[in-house]
Amino acid sequence: MVLAAFIKGVFKEALAKKILLTIFGFFSLLIILSVFALTNSTVEGMQMMLESSGGNSLREAVLTFQSYIVAGIPMFMLVSSMLIITSSFIPDMLKKGHIDLLLSKPISRTKIIIGHFLAATLIVLIAFTFLMGAIWILVSSKTGFWNPSFLYSILWFTLIFSVLYSAVMLIGILSRSTILTIIINMLLFFPVSFLLYLANTYFQSDEKSIVFGPVAESLLKFFYQILPKPWDMQDITVSFVTQNAVVNYMPLISSLLFMTIMLVLSIWYFNKKDY
Amino acid sequence: MNVIEINSLTKHFPGKKFSGDKIKALEKVSFNVGSGEIFGLLGPNGAGKTTLVKILLGITFATNGNAKLFDKPVTNVRNKKRIGYLPENHRFPNYLSGEQVIDYFGRLSGLTKSDLDKKTYKYLKIVGMDQWGTTKIKKYSKGMLQRLGLAQAMINDPDLIFLDEPTDGVDPIGRKEIRDVLLELKSQGKTIFLNSHLLSEIELICDKVAILNKGELIEVGSVADITTSSNKYIFITSDLSEDIMNKILTEYKGTLHGKNEFECIINSVEDVNKIIDYLRSSNVLIHGVYKEKNSLESMFINLIEQKN
Repeated sequence: MVLAAFIKGVFKEALAKKILLTIFGFFSLLIILSVFALTNSTVEGMQMMLESSGGNSLREAVLTFQSYIVAGIPMFMLVSSMLIITSSFIPDMLKKGHIDLLLSKPISRTKIIIGHFLAATLIVLIAFTFLMGAIWILVSSKTGFWNPSFLYSILWFTLIFSVLYSAVMLIGILSRSTILTIIINMLLFFPVSFLLYLANTYFQSDEKSIVFGPVAESLLKFFYQILPKPWDMQDITVSFVTQNAVVNYMPLISSLLFMTIMLVLSIWYFNKKDY
Repeated sequence: MNVIEINSLTKHFPGKKFSGDKIKALEKVSFNVGSGEIFGLLGPNGAGKTTLVKILLGITFATNGNAKLFDKPVTNVRNKKRIGYLPENHRFPNYLSGEQVIDYFGRLSGLTKSDLDKKTYKYLKIVGMDQWGTTKIKKYSKGMLQRLGLAQAMINDPDLIFLDEPTDGVDPIGRKEIRDVLLELKSQGKTIFLNSHLLSEIELICDKVAILNKGELIEVGSVADITTSSNKYIFITSDLSEDIMNKILTEYKGTLHGKNEFECIINSVEDVNKIIDYLRSSNVLIHGVYKEKNSLESMFINLIEQKN
């Protein structure tokens, strides 16, 4: 019950700081733009384009369109905006005068960390459900093709967020700085993880135009293995949405392992820290 | 029964980075606080008072020694249901109203909605904040925030309440009201642990005090014991004759303050009675006899100066 009260408190904080308003405002704007973009002529154009390129069905057109929504820049924009918005939670909680009071209550430090993690994940899950659910209804009603697999993107996006948010938590606890937390996490998400993802794709391909030295290759592979893999998880999301078989679940497993390690480190450090 | 047991509690903080220095916040502090007492912790700035309270609440960890609350280690989370705390310079989420602050921290203390429905207004009324319950706390003054903090510390009906500078920023009438609240809590059998710079306030309501200086415990005892450490008795009488005054000066080694008042250093109650018998046998009317008391403030300053 105390944990539930804590999670509710984080929701209230998000509501009062207009975090929820910002998220739903931003997402509503995206939905409205989609309404204007998805006119009947756009759908017909989509179908015609697909037929001219050898495609043969509306189903294929819709799946292709939906795969564009859940991959690349849209995925990065959505998840990173959620990370930026929620990155102040931990540094704000650790402010003097607030943390003292919190730690004097009958809630363990471990539960405080878990509560924060669950609350942030829940907020993002609700936000993604709102956005992706609305887009799904919009696309399906316009095209007449209902692809429930698109809704898997809600879970996958939330999972990508959770993996990266675990690092946000640890950095927030260590640094108590929102700005530093955002910067480190954005670096981890975009250049670091993305370049490692490209490097790994390159190492697995047959055609190699650039030759890496054995040390450089080993280092890149090592960092690829230990760091989260949001871009590989994006590929899994596309496979789910387009109803294709997932080739490799290893990126998911290693990302979950990364998340677990981040959470354990956060709990361990928070449990031994003087406030 | 002791509610708080502190045994050789030591806390060292790391000093400047890479210097290897340590800041000694507490050094082998030991004392107990009994059930139903109002206990005052005194000390100059940086004496280690807040560190001690934070260790007792599990907010900071001791380097050495141990402490128990209700006979259980201070790290016991369940124990905290029996504890209320008002930190110094607390920072309630300023987007909440007074009632919402009580609701949030009450729930974190394990209270149910029905408990809170019954208690929120009651405790806001006790601290004189019932008119302001629905107002956002960002509009509150410092004194109002302190009152709200006190209500928050009492909401779970704790057996032990830690108050760090509870009257900070509160006007004199508010201070009196807070003192009355604390005395009411004491009458209900609650134990109160008070950190305050206001020695006059401590003297008014505390049963026992401890004085910390530079992390070391330099005095602990009842307020009465600490403030009545001298053996100086003051006698107020009707006009004294020359003979009587001479006898007081020579035989009783007294010091005269005019014809109606004198003081003597006396080591036993028997000697006090001997003087009274002499005065009465000489037909002197005794208006009053009292043992000189030092104020807590003067005792505190003396003790700190001796140590420094």
